[in-house]
Amino acid sequence: MYEIRFHGRGGQGAVMAAQSLAAAAFREGYYALAFPHFGAERRGAPVLAFARIAEGKIYEKTRVYHPNYVVVLDPVLPELVNVQDGLVEGGMAILNSPLQPDEVQLERSTDTATVDATTVALETLGSPITNSAILGAFAKATGLLKIESVEQGIIDIFGPRIGMDKAERNAKAAAAAYERTTTGTCTGGRSYEASKMWLPDIDELPIGMSTPKTQTDAGLVGIGSFVENHTGSWRTFVPNVDPEKCINCQMCWFYCPDAAVDRGEEVIGFNLDYCKGCGICANVCPVDAIEMRR
Amino acid sequence: MKRVVTGNYAAAYGAKVCKPDVVAAYPITPQTFIVEHISEFVNDGEMDTQFVRMDSEHSAMSACVSASATGVRTFTATASQGLALMHEILFIASAQRLPVVMPVVNRTVAGPIGIWVEYNDTMPQRDTGWLQVYVEDNQEVLDMTIQAFKIAEDHDVLLPMMVNLDAFILSHTVEPVDLIEQEEVDRFLPPYDPIANLLPETPMAVGTFSPPEYIQEVRYQTDVAMRKAEAVIERVNREFAEQFGRDYHGMLEEYRTDDADVILVTLGTVTSTARAVVDRMREAGKKVGIVKLRFFRPYPLEQIREIASRVDAIGFYDRSVSYGVGGPSYIEGRHALYGYTIPVMNFLAGIGGRDVMSEDVELMFDMLLKAAKEGKAEKDIVWIGTRGVNP
Amino acid sequence: MDRNKGGEPVNIKELPDKELFTPGHTACPGCAAPIVMRHVMKIFGEKSVVYNPACCLLVFGGTYPWIAWEVPYNHVAFENTGACITGISRALKNIGRDDVTVLGIAGDGGTADIGFQALSGAAERNEDVVYIMYDNEAYMNTGIQRSGSTPYGAWTTTTPAGSKIKGKERFKKDMATIMLAHNVPYVATLNIAYPADFLRKLEKAKEMSGFRFLQIYAPCPTGWRADPNSAVDLSKLAVETGMWTLWEAENGKVTINKKPKFTPVKEYLDQQGRFRHFDDEQYGIIEQWVKDKWDKDEKMLTALGGD
Repeated sequence: MYEIRFHGRGGQGAVMAAQSLAAAAFREGYYALAFPHFGAERRGAPVLAFARIAEGKIYEKTRVYHPNYVVVLDPVLPELVNVQDGLVEGGMAILNSPLQPDEVQLERSTDTATVDATTVALETLGSPITNSAILGAFAKATGLLKIESVEQGIIDIFGPRIGMDKAERNAKAAAAAYERTTTGTCTGGRSYEASKMWLPDIDELPIGMSTPKTQTDAGLVGIGSFVENHTGSWRTFVPNVDPEKCINCQMCWFYCPDAAVDRGEEVIGFNLDYCKGCGICANVCPVDAIEMRR
Repeated sequence: MKRVVTGNYAAAYGAKVCKPDVVAAYPITPQTFIVEHISEFVNDGEMDTQFVRMDSEHSAMSACVSASATGVRTFTATASQGLALMHEILFIASAQRLPVVMPVVNRTVAGPIGIWVEYNDTMPQRDTGWLQVYVEDNQEVLDMTIQAFKIAEDHDVLLPMMVNLDAFILSHTVEPVDLIEQEEVDRFLPPYDPIANLLPETPMAVGTFSPPEYIQEVRYQTDVAMRKAEAVIERVNREFAEQFGRDYHGMLEEYRTDDADVILVTLGTVTSTARAVVDRMREAGKKVGIVKLRFFRPYPLEQIREIASRVDAIGFYDRSVSYGVGGPSYIEGRHALYGYTIPVMNFLAGIGGRDVMSEDVELMFDMLLKAAKEGKAEKDIVWIGTRGVNP
Repeated sequence: MDRNKGGEPVNIKELPDKELFTPGHTACPGCAAPIVMRHVMKIFGEKSVVYNPACCLLVFGGTYPWIAWEVPYNHVAFENTGACITGISRALKNIGRDDVTVLGIAGDGGTADIGFQALSGAAERNEDVVYIMYDNEAYMNTGIQRSGSTPYGAWTTTTPAGSKIKGKERFKKDMATIMLAHNVPYVATLNIAYPADFLRKLEKAKEMSGFRFLQIYAPCPTGWRADPNSAVDLSKLAVETGMWTLWEAENGKVTINKKPKFTPVKEYLDQQGRFRHFDDEQYGIIEQWVKDKWDKDEKMLTALGGD
């Protein structure tokens, strides 16, 4: 059995990628399943999806903890989360990255495939949605499934949801990405901050979960504790302010959904810990002092 | 001061003397008089409470839960369909560990629509995390309403509690009740000491959206509290008995079980009828006894096991059915008596408010005696007085 | 028609820095609801209790053990905001805490649909609470299903643009007018594109007592299939086209705060993918609806006008 974990962000279509891969495997006579990491994640937040592929019926209903392959849709994610977590010995990371595999640094050195799926998607689909292109890289890098099956799997899943025309274009994105995928070995040694989660036992967990603001080993919990959740990692675009132009009207401060604008004495600044890069600030600025950059 | 009052009055009076800060309720037959009496107490200035005439039972329970989360004593009352409508919020009251007290006038849940006594309203709520006591007379309605606050608000418990009284047989029947004086209640019942509140000086979140990493521990904590409630019930019963001279024997009461060959486990007002039947049958030399099962949650597992070890057959009376498997009390009893080889029988009677007559109870005892003698019941689950069904 | 009535005008620069709805919340980029919550909390301050039913805000504002609210916070269920804020308010009343404001903050589904009965009951009883409906015009938390507050023709996952039926077939339920019919002290519609009016109405609601109902326009870029930077633009266009009337009613006297410019509705609709399937007939239907709505709003002003 092959186990595959997809890393993406809310809205990037990681689940549809996993489903398309399962559909492709099914077309080749495998038994396959795909499922999301059931959560309430919002657009932009890191999300997971999983797939399993085997010769016979698959009974495991747990999440995938030891994937043979990890597939990463978002080019920034490997800097934020250890996408190799639990990757089996001899496993492979398939990344959306403009870099060559040996230019990529992850936690450890493993087989790695890269493709600039964002560019492929922009060229083929006109939008940076990489959930189809990345599957072409999967086919090329793993050799597990034929690219024709992957294209058909994409059409099977995308077709009923977004229409046949668009589904076929997504299949073409996979085919284009297949041609541009390079395989090799990444370098290791990148360290990741261990994700801390407060897991109190039954004596520590407040009765009725009525939780005041409390400092724990895993950080703040309870009232006001979300302030320690740095959503800046969701960002694709970053605001830049031209201090010469800024008239300190504070409209950007008023309209920032993430309170990521600091009111200065003279000009505003940004708190990139929280900025999700929505661009409202640039849009509401009456003197065009703010520009969104990648 | 003794007065002849209805069960509904006893419940309303119990609310009054326990001085809840918030009463949020909605009228429903046969509970209506509880709400009406409280309205009178409030409008006559006898009761200092925020009494909210809600727009539904769902809203009533919701208001109680949020009021209780704010840190105050909270009361409501309902019946039947009203309880069913509250169902969703009952789980939340217990999970947030809010000691709301609620008399439930047991009434059949439609369909078919009816207004008479049946336990198919409260029994399906047995997994909601509420304590449940079934009472036998109007004095017990009052006494248990008062005890309910003390049990529910105990920091070992902190769970909501329902006091279940039979429709009409108690709710609309007058009998003498010692209406305990306010000062006596004040002496018995300490003020509510909440562990959480919604005050700006101590801001906290009550009811946050929760991932699987926490919910299992919450369930475990609630399970522990339900188990701990047993000791608190016994203690509060003793304290009540000492102060007021009425001993309800906590989780359950045994009646003439000492040398009994067979025992019938009863619920609610059928207990009273059964007491009289036992006395008559004893005179005729038949060694029968009853166990008045008072608390259904928590459930006196060990006590039932111990009692059953002394007899040759045991029967469970039920006023509601879990289709295909018997009544809830029977199911629980069967669970308690796993490994026992004596006959364990189920008697379904009084469903939909049909009167349970002395003859019905006598028949139950006779069938138990026969099973005890033969070491085996002819039929485990017996519908009493059902046309076309031979018991 | 642009006038300030009651409530001190609030200058943006005078708003406090302290965020009582903290960043770190997990709303989608560009979501308008957290903009609304930040300023609701800046106006109402620390002596508030917030109740949330099930809605996007419940989830993005807090996932145990983390929460963005700095004030006492309660959630019970979905359909009972009106009842739960009743419970909190009455409890506070009985212990003499008249200094604390109780805020029920619910989405449009939790207000116009499943929470309607509890809301109506609380309003009829004139509970001393502030009810805030943040209106993103669909069940966004569960993934964009239509609500009673979804506008005509909009695509949602339960009103898809099919080959036979294209989008929602019925019009948006007018919640503010329904609440006005409850004879409550204060009803207002708010829109972040008009900050002075927006903040003044929050101040007004804070000053008053009894049942106060605020319906706040809250674009959802994800569910509306719009650019994440578009919330303020859409808010302004909604008022200018007449899709959203800014009005308030203080003790039954209605004031319309901003007369629409009657900018063609198409300009508003075409920025949102949820109306992408519109043909001329559907554009026509929604244009007529805007005209009829304004007719009604003006008549209401005449009938119930303060001056």
